Amino acid sequence: MARIKFEDVGKRYPNGFVALASLSLEIRDKEFLVLLGPSGCGKTTTLNMIAGLEDVSEGRLYFDDVVMNAVPPHRRDVAMVFQSYALYPHKSVYDNIAFGLIMRKHPKEEIDTRVRDAARRLEIEPLLDRRPHQLSGGQRQRVALGRAMVRQPAAFLMDEPLSNLDAALRISTRAELKQLHQTMQTTFVYVTHDQAEALTLADRIVVMREGVVQQIGAPDEIYEQPRNMFVASFLGNPPINYLEGTLARDGDDMRFARGELSILLPPHVAQKVSAQQGREVVLGLRPEDVDERSSPREGEAVHGRVSSVLPVGSDQFLGLEAEGKLLFCRVSKELHHQQGENIALAVNTNRLHLFDKASGQTLLW
Amino acid sequence: MSASLHGIGRRALLFGASVLFLAYVLAPVAWMVSSSFQPETEITSVPPHWISHAPTLENFRAIFTTGEEAVTYETRRHGDPATGKFIPSTAKNLLPGMGNSLIVALTVVVLNLLVSVPAAYAMAKVRFVGRSASIYLMLTTRVIPDIALVVPFFLFIRKLGLLDHLGSLVITYLAITVPFSVFILLGYFESLPDELDKAARVDGCSRLQALLRVFLPIALPSLVAVTLFTFLTSWNEFLLALMFTQTPASQTMPIIVASFTSDFTISFSFINAAGVLAVVPPIILAVMFERYIVSGLTAGAVKG
Repeated sequence: MARIKFEDVGKRYPNGFVALASLSLEIRDKEFLVLLGPSGCGKTTTLNMIAGLEDVSEGRLYFDDVVMNAVPPHRRDVAMVFQSYALYPHKSVYDNIAFGLIMRKHPKEEIDTRVRDAARRLEIEPLLDRRPHQLSGGQRQRVALGRAMVRQPAAFLMDEPLSNLDAALRISTRAELKQLHQTMQTTFVYVTHDQAEALTLADRIVVMREGVVQQIGAPDEIYEQPRNMFVASFLGNPPINYLEGTLARDGDDMRFARGELSILLPPHVAQKVSAQQGREVVLGLRPEDVDERSSPREGEAVHGRVSSVLPVGSDQFLGLEAEGKLLFCRVSKELHHQQGENIALAVNTNRLHLFDKASGQTLLW
Repeated sequence: MSASLHGIGRRALLFGASVLFLAYVLAPVAWMVSSSFQPETEITSVPPHWISHAPTLENFRAIFTTGEEAVTYETRRHGDPATGKFIPSTAKNLLPGMGNSLIVALTVVVLNLLVSVPAAYAMAKVRFVGRSASIYLMLTTRVIPDIALVVPFFLFIRKLGLLDHLGSLVITYLAITVPFSVFILLGYFESLPDELDKAARVDGCSRLQALLRVFLPIALPSLVAVTLFTFLTSWNEFLLALMFTQTPASQTMPIIVASFTSDFTISFSFINAAGVLAVVPPIILAVMFERYIVSGLTAGAVKG
């Protein structure tokens, strides 16, 4: 069990590249923390630092209250699952799982019990004598999990462990990982660029970009109250729609205006931006935040021409050309819209996002 | 119809070419082996006898039983041309020479592995300042032909007082083989995923343990390649051995065999028998390691 604390931790390579800029973060004991971001955002570097595989160039890294900066990986009580699984090709599945325990000089009987126990839980018992190259991707992934599990480490680190699995397996393994976290009662740090994975697994998400933390929070908080346009667009599929425009005063009300489009901002938003008419802003509209009422009220209607209809089984996505932009909306599949049809959709103004155009920062929270 | 004819013609052509190639490569070896079992009179016969009409072990017996008697201008006629007893005066040095060769080759193999394995691992998996510079510098040393290094080597060896000592050969052969070994192993280690190294270290291995317990077993095919290369280079090396060794105490097999041609008497069948003995250790080595030369051992380490 471990609390992991980053205190102004930075990573700078000899060539001057800054992989991580001054990260301060406390990962709570038994927490499932997900580091989320596009490739090159510093999330894997952060994970490697926890494992001791990368040096900390600035700041301090603590496990509980012990500074770990100079402790080599084999003296840290962490286990890691890699994207490529990194199984030892010359060892059997059994030896792969047992290796960490052998290196830590556990008694032989205990190793055997733990390996077989983990194999049973992961349903890979019949595979114990095989070599990694005789396994399917999903089986290898389980062996990699088993290798980490038997160690009963203080922290469980995972670097995109699901990204080599096919879609169906990925979803079922997600559920298993969540269950594993509950039964193991240990700190999980999980790196991914898949927002859906982050939203399903995490207690808290850290969204990163170019070595800088953009936002830390619970999945709901990150999704509902993104701090900036990057965070808002990184979560959600299809991503949030952005419309540039200006703030306009309309008597006591505030409106978002872009060409013909004029959206009445709800009171709690209007209050925040009351004295800022004329300010250039970006309106964020999540695909699902539209209402399919046939005749939307004034101030919440988006008029446009249907450019594409994409059924996805449970519902459908509409591509809507409005005010020179292509917006994606998720609507019920009962609506039979045709391509080329002119329609009006009501937007759920209470769920709108508003960002400053220049800085990309939210104007709401 | 024409397609199958075409196929047959193609196969016949390939088969013919293979036979020609094999004959080209194997004929000298076959002749060496065959003539080592022939008396001196038979190997000079025209046309040559590829299979001896009067096979004899006399040449080998001569190698293993040569006495102290030196063949001189006066005594050379004692040799009997009919039985091929033109035994060179240096014949008795052959077995000690092979012993020297074996000592040098094995020492070089062991020391070479001790140096080049950690060096290649470090260059492949540890990022340090001057890493690529050191790789290039090391390879540059192999661009220089050995002959250009003979004089500096000689001065160096003389300064160390190692002239006519097996140590001189060990040192210089290491200088020749280590860069190449590092280069081979470096390529192999670099092809192994970094994550394997990381997994081992998170699993509780120090750098050295990761090398010994994970990388070496996987790298076995390339270790075999390096071992064979180093052994053969040391076993066959002639130029430096000629420079640094002067007495049978330190002379190696190639020097002794070469000396057979500059004696009062030249027995080609005897020289060929020596040649057969000289290729035995490399062949044993190749047969020993043959089953380890397995490719694709890393398949399955990472995503397939």
